[in-house]
Amino acid sequence: MTAISSTPTGEAVPRPRGTRGRGARARTLRRMNWGGWLYLVPALTLYGLFVLRPLISTIQYSFYDWNGISLATPVGMANYVKVLTDPVLLSSVGHSFQLMVFFTVIPVVGGLLVAALLQEIRIKGLGTVARTTLFLPQIIPGAAAAIAWVWMFSSSGAVNQLLSAIGLESITRAWLGDFDWALPAVGVIGLWLNLGFCTILLMSGIGKIDASIYEAARMDGAGFWSTFKAVTLPGLRAEIGVCVTMTMIAALASFDVVYMSTRGGPGNSTMVPGVLVYQLGFTESRVGLASALAMVLTLLVFVVILPLQRLFREH
Amino acid sequence: MSLTTTRRSILALSLVGSLAGLAACAAPGSSTQPTTTAPTAVSTNVGTEPVTITLYDGAGLKTVDDALIAAFNEKYPNITVETRFDPDNVQAQNAPRVLASDNPPELARIVALGDIVTDNLLTPLTPWAESYGWDIPGGQMAMYTVDEQGVRGSGTQYTVASGFVTTGVYYNKELAAQLGLSGLPTTVDAFEAALEKAKVAGITPIITGNSVGQANTAIQMMINNHMGAKAVNDWVFNVPGATIDTPEATAGVQIVADWINAGYFNADANGTDGAGASARFAQGEALFYLSGNWDASGLAKSMGDNVGFMAPPALKEGTLLAMSDPVTNFGIPAKAKNKDAAAAFLDFLMSAEARAVLVENGFAPSGAGEVPQTEAGSLNEAVQESFAALVAADGQVQFVQNATSGSTAAWNEQSQLLVGGKTTPADFVTAIQASYTEQIGK
Repeated sequence: MTAISSTPTGEAVPRPRGTRGRGARARTLRRMNWGGWLYLVPALTLYGLFVLRPLISTIQYSFYDWNGISLATPVGMANYVKVLTDPVLLSSVGHSFQLMVFFTVIPVVGGLLVAALLQEIRIKGLGTVARTTLFLPQIIPGAAAAIAWVWMFSSSGAVNQLLSAIGLESITRAWLGDFDWALPAVGVIGLWLNLGFCTILLMSGIGKIDASIYEAARMDGAGFWSTFKAVTLPGLRAEIGVCVTMTMIAALASFDVVYMSTRGGPGNSTMVPGVLVYQLGFTESRVGLASALAMVLTLLVFVVILPLQRLFREH
Repeated sequence: MSLTTTRRSILALSLVGSLAGLAACAAPGSSTQPTTTAPTAVSTNVGTEPVTITLYDGAGLKTVDDALIAAFNEKYPNITVETRFDPDNVQAQNAPRVLASDNPPELARIVALGDIVTDNLLTPLTPWAESYGWDIPGGQMAMYTVDEQGVRGSGTQYTVASGFVTTGVYYNKELAAQLGLSGLPTTVDAFEAALEKAKVAGITPIITGNSVGQANTAIQMMINNHMGAKAVNDWVFNVPGATIDTPEATAGVQIVADWINAGYFNADANGTDGAGASARFAQGEALFYLSGNWDASGLAKSMGDNVGFMAPPALKEGTLLAMSDPVTNFGIPAKAKNKDAAAAFLDFLMSAEARAVLVENGFAPSGAGEVPQTEAGSLNEAVQESFAALVAADGQVQFVQNATSGSTAAWNEQSQLLVGGKTTPADFVTAIQASYTEQIGK
């Protein structure tokens, strides 16, 4: 990039705003008020203690065979080899990616459409009603929502009652106990939780787009779709980025919804890495293996999220 | 990449790197646990000075523990028992760490007994057993002992149970009469005939909540029949060489697989939990519900005289086997302070007063002696009679889910696959044994 520029003589010359030379940088460093850092000490201490230290401990544990109590034995990369070769552990990662359809794709696309429609219709009060209704799932903890959905998905629950009422009795089943349908059913719970989050964020994003641009588009004769494509979508770049990032992390690191609804069953058909980390670490006391899986999961989140950050960065 | 970003990355990397280096110095875990936990001097005299001890148990056992403590305080008014409860499965998971802490409770529920003893976290009870003169039936003693290799079933005593759970078959009396069942189907053949009758009449033969692995109750009952109590107990107690990957176990699982194929279980078994299954049984949806005495008081309340209880059906008349293990297996942590007071509580658990408390709460009593009185004709009476017969027949079998700490997950997964028709009995037992071997060898 072109941030560095200086004349051959090293003399300071007027530069465009926002660029500085090496000499200036050094002088700034010397002149910097290090006392300002003191204000950061409390926050940094807490961050180090409760974020960095556990992270580093997890890295360390992942190289040991440890039951959490007695002296651990170093095992080198064995835990990582197991994580990357065990079919159950690998399939759990696959489930996370399938969940992304429900946690990310549908909420973001749906949220965009709902937000754009509400902006288009502009009926007084409708926006507030929609916002409240859609945001409601956000204030309910995932674990509680999962329990409610377990009842709704049961063989005599609301979902099957609804299907029977409209003549679809033949497809009713215990959704969370069905090997083919349990994962999509868990996905629907995530969809319900995330749709409101995305819609609210995108609606507030639309609010920030200059109304005169919409007016201009309308005067140019643009319909809903062209306005959506030319004004709304580009204007929401940053918000979409946040939605996609947050919901993808929610899918990859999902725990509460799966744990409370199926615990990974039936069989292993809804097992996700988050639940496995818990099960290995706490139920089975295999802290090393659980830590290795947690580290792989963390890296996976980075690998998926970092390119997206680049993509959605505003220029 | 701009210089700023590069510099920031280098700074962050070096920070993480140096911290990781610091942390990597020592292996985690402690080698400072006492290597010997044997008490030096014990006393059965707890005096009259006020003493406070803490009891740590699963939340599901609060009612019975509170009743036991009240009865205990009538005998020992100077000992205050404070309680601490975690949800049952959380307590099981946290117990090893709570026991390893510097200030553990005096009495704690111990689930993974073998591991906890190997980690030197428990006090051997031998000196108190001798001083108090405990006389414990062999089948119960097996659940309290661990040998030097960490194998359960024999060796030194570390725990005493507050009482026992027992398992069997609840049946709906009205439906049984409606189907014209004469007498209880105590053999597998008679039981299968009853299942078929119910199926033909359009009644769910067995209701089961297999989202929490309840089909394993039926599966283990049939494995017990084919393997026998000793082979199953050896497997659960981790006796070297014990295996469940045998033709006998496969034959047991095959019986349940046949039931599944015949449609003897509710079609939504994998999508039903335990509470849902027992509620639907109480509403009269099914003829049988295979479970334990922890469901007895709830079912008696909602079904009144309409519910009966019998021992698991056996291969042939006269044999009696059922899963039965401690309600709470109480041990004294190695670092506990008032061990004599805690031992007095353990001694009390086998007294007539404590046995009566257990029976009142629908559980089977600890120790030996007269069976405490129950209301004639009640469900509790049927449960107590079944347990007494079980002890007399020496037919108590450990729950297979307790073989290793990861066993429940393995059995639940496999039973859901079996109910879903996604595995065979042979693959079932092979997968269970593989998970067991991996856990034992860890």
